Amino acid sequence: MSASEINTSANEIKYLSEFYHLPEFKTLEGYKKNGGYIQLPKALKMQPQEIIDLVKASGLRGRGGAGFATGMKWGFLPKNNEPRYLLCNADEGEPGTFKDRMMMEKAPHQLVEGMIISGFAIGSKKSYIYVRGEYSDSINALEVAIAEAYKAGFLGRNILGSGFDHDMDVYRGAGAYICGEETGMISSLEGLKGQPKLKPPFPAIQGYLKKPTIVNNVETLAAVKYILRDGAAGYRKYGTEKSAGTKLFSLSGNIVKPGNYEVPLGFSLKDMIYGLGGGTKPGKKLKAVIPGGSSAPVLTADEAERANLDYENLAQMGTMLGSGAIIVIDDSKCMVECLANLMHFYHHESCGQCTPCREGTGWLDKITTSILAGRGRLSDIELLLKVADNMKGKTICALSDAAALPVLSFVSKFRDEFEFYVREGKSKVKGVVYKTPSYQSDHSKLGAH
Amino acid sequence: MSEIITENKTEKKMLNCKINGVALFVKEGSTIIQAMYENQQKIAHYCWHPGLSIAGVCRLCMVEVTGNPRLQIACNTQVIEGMDINNTSAKVIEATKWGLDFHLINHPLDCPVCDQAGECGLQDQYMEFGQYNSEMAEPKTKKHKVVDLGPTVVLDSERCILCSRCVRFTDEVSKTNELGIFNRGDHAEIGTHAGKKLDNKYSLNTVDICPVGALTSKDFRFRQRAWYLKDAETICNGCSTGCSTKVYFNKEGLFRVKPKHNAAVNGYWMCDEGRNTYKFVNKESRLLKSYQFKNNSWGFESMAGAATRNLINIFKTAKADEMALVLTGQQTVEEYEAIVSFFADHLKSKNIFHWNNNESTVNDFDGLLIRGDKNPNTKGLLQVLSKHQISTKWTDLENQLASGKIKNLVVVGPENISVYNDLELKLNLFSKAEHLIYLSSASLPQWENIKTLKYVTVIPLKTYIEKSGTFINYAGLAQKFNKVTTVVSEALTVSEFAQLAKGEELKIEYVVSENLMTSEHQRADQVVLEHRKKNEFVFNRGQF
Repeated sequence: MSASEINTSANEIKYLSEFYHLPEFKTLEGYKKNGGYIQLPKALKMQPQEIIDLVKASGLRGRGGAGFATGMKWGFLPKNNEPRYLLCNADEGEPGTFKDRMMMEKAPHQLVEGMIISGFAIGSKKSYIYVRGEYSDSINALEVAIAEAYKAGFLGRNILGSGFDHDMDVYRGAGAYICGEETGMISSLEGLKGQPKLKPPFPAIQGYLKKPTIVNNVETLAAVKYILRDGAAGYRKYGTEKSAGTKLFSLSGNIVKPGNYEVPLGFSLKDMIYGLGGGTKPGKKLKAVIPGGSSAPVLTADEAERANLDYENLAQMGTMLGSGAIIVIDDSKCMVECLANLMHFYHHESCGQCTPCREGTGWLDKITTSILAGRGRLSDIELLLKVADNMKGKTICALSDAAALPVLSFVSKFRDEFEFYVREGKSKVKGVVYKTPSYQSDHSKLGAH
Repeated sequence: MSEIITENKTEKKMLNCKINGVALFVKEGSTIIQAMYENQQKIAHYCWHPGLSIAGVCRLCMVEVTGNPRLQIACNTQVIEGMDINNTSAKVIEATKWGLDFHLINHPLDCPVCDQAGECGLQDQYMEFGQYNSEMAEPKTKKHKVVDLGPTVVLDSERCILCSRCVRFTDEVSKTNELGIFNRGDHAEIGTHAGKKLDNKYSLNTVDICPVGALTSKDFRFRQRAWYLKDAETICNGCSTGCSTKVYFNKEGLFRVKPKHNAAVNGYWMCDEGRNTYKFVNKESRLLKSYQFKNNSWGFESMAGAATRNLINIFKTAKADEMALVLTGQQTVEEYEAIVSFFADHLKSKNIFHWNNNESTVNDFDGLLIRGDKNPNTKGLLQVLSKHQISTKWTDLENQLASGKIKNLVVVGPENISVYNDLELKLNLFSKAEHLIYLSSASLPQWENIKTLKYVTVIPLKTYIEKSGTFINYAGLAQKFNKVTTVVSEALTVSEFAQLAKGEELKIEYVVSENLMTSEHQRADQVVLEHRKKNEFVFNRGQF
């Protein structure tokens, strides 16, 4: 890519992250000084249904991965007085994703305010923030912020004299990827083994403690207050017709300037990589991009340069926006090794409930590892595709698909690298055979993991 | 066999649907798998069990619903009006084949040494959908074998397909919560929670519902191959609940008892105690011939029929009030009717007594199946007695025996002597009679301990496995059952005894018994359950 083709005018739109550079934004005082807790009293004077309608009109879609319309999700709750829960999914386990962490560390009050408003809208008196166990700083920041909010009367009984009660707690996860799946998270929060639950019933009808429950991502809940501030039309100023608003993207991998970038949806992936990310390192060429976290099908460099970062465009390209984790892979990386790495991850993280996923993730891991060790058979390549194809859409949750989709895309788009590896017993890119990864020897050990 | 099916009384809307082209009319709220199960349609499944909650994890019961591009699992999809369902399309068959393959890739395929072979869900589905060569070329995941879960059950984790039926059983039915699934992914294994054993009164149901050979019964494993066994239905005689059961037997004897579904009585389950009721039927614990104790020694071996005919004179000459009859709740209604009418109508004796072995616990109930009355037919006995207007007190018998008023005492002894703790005490009492005629299916080593024996005739009886009849359970439900097999062909039923004693002709068929089941023929379980292997992975959790 020559310098002239790079669009340097493409800039971040700091909508949610406007004040993230201010250390004081973390505190209640600093947050209030910069526009915080102005929407909350406004919201408490509205009718809950008005807020739900507003969120519906804004076109806000879930930022955790699935991109489901938030207002519609809220609308699934039963229309009665049954107690209900609001859960914030801050498990952020998708490899490559680190936007929620930044949001919680830099602006915990933004999430807390968004959650109180959302809680009011759906009629929930209790909410939990389920935070990934490794995120100690996020947990500390949230706990301080919640304590400050209680003290200031934004949480607890009769919030700001409105008659609305709301309590909020932080729950620390124990590091399982599957607990980022909403029903897996609910199981974990209930004190059970973190395993997804059979649907139906869906959480909106029967979730946490068998009560109606809404689970939303950190970024989704934080955005609610901005929709109130700017109205649905104001929020729709950014993004596309179907993918409204801005989104935080976590840029990582073989890139000069990795980090979180907030851009309007529909932003060009090329601009993200070359403009904001500074491109690949000198002398290296872009080979592939995983656009939406490790579960999203990979794009070739060519496809990546044509893609736009919105739900529809990426779906059209056969992949997905997911959690917004853009993993850049340059030409010094071996795709066989990348896939084997991913497969090991999914094998390790499968909860083991559904047979196709439990056995399939292990099988895929073993096949890729044996290819990597130079023991692959040519038939293994077809077998990878067959196994992945039969894991897809056959299980309770999407972890099985998350493991299958990378296989299908890696093998079909970079088949030459796989075939070379099997034929020659070494990497096409690196020219060497990998030593058996340390984890592979674990397979023979009982009770490993 | 009882054919009592209780219909759900609450009226439910019926829905029209079509499954594999067959138009069906199913209850609203039914899942597809229920509809198929109730209409004898074949569908592959492992985790679903009609008596347990829905887990939806084996992913084998895939069906295609017209209008839905994604295959659905039949166990968690409710039938809606007009649904068109099939599980025979190429798409479903391919999905099922792969679903089976995922179950098999880490399965040890040790069918030749597996107890489940012949009645294994994996084998059945493989014959139905598989018959291919596995593409799995990688080393299989190793898991624990010969895990001693408790006093009754052994686990082989490599055979386990993690359907979670056993876990759900201990959570939902026995409510003892001993089992859980530990670890994640393909390292997940069934195990008992730290410090717990699978030790409850219903533990062997987990073996029944295990679709593979992961859970095996310590009592049954390595005793017989499933295909060398015949089975027949009967009623459990372990207590007054009267569960429907299936007994498994061959010419070597009886080997196991399993529950048979009976919505009115036991659902899908039975207790572990009831599974032992085959043991007293086998020849090793039976009275095979008639003997007499006379002149201070046992002797005069004879066939049961001949021995009974020899008693005819006694019944002809004895005075009615010098005779007495003792009955337990272990015989059939038909037999009670025969012997009671023989005594009451023929001999004109109303001295008929009910030997109640568990007066203090008779109304106990554990909330699931086990009842304190360890007799299958106490209700039946009481009904026959009241029909003949017999109301006697046990103390009358004791007094009359003490005073020597009763000279000839006929006792129909219990089959299941393990639940008669007062047996020796009662034998002591009975031996006060001048002539004790003791009818029993069990050989009683207890006679050795009775020092006051005068004159005793013992006559072998048939057990519940060897006769047809009716038991009336605690709730008054009369359940008919048929003869399963013959173990001791020389033995009599109580009705036959009554007929012979009356002097009627009775052709007794002597079949040369092939039943060889004696303790010498039984092999001990030769697999040593090393302590080291006991739930190791549970106790070492987190140390890897």
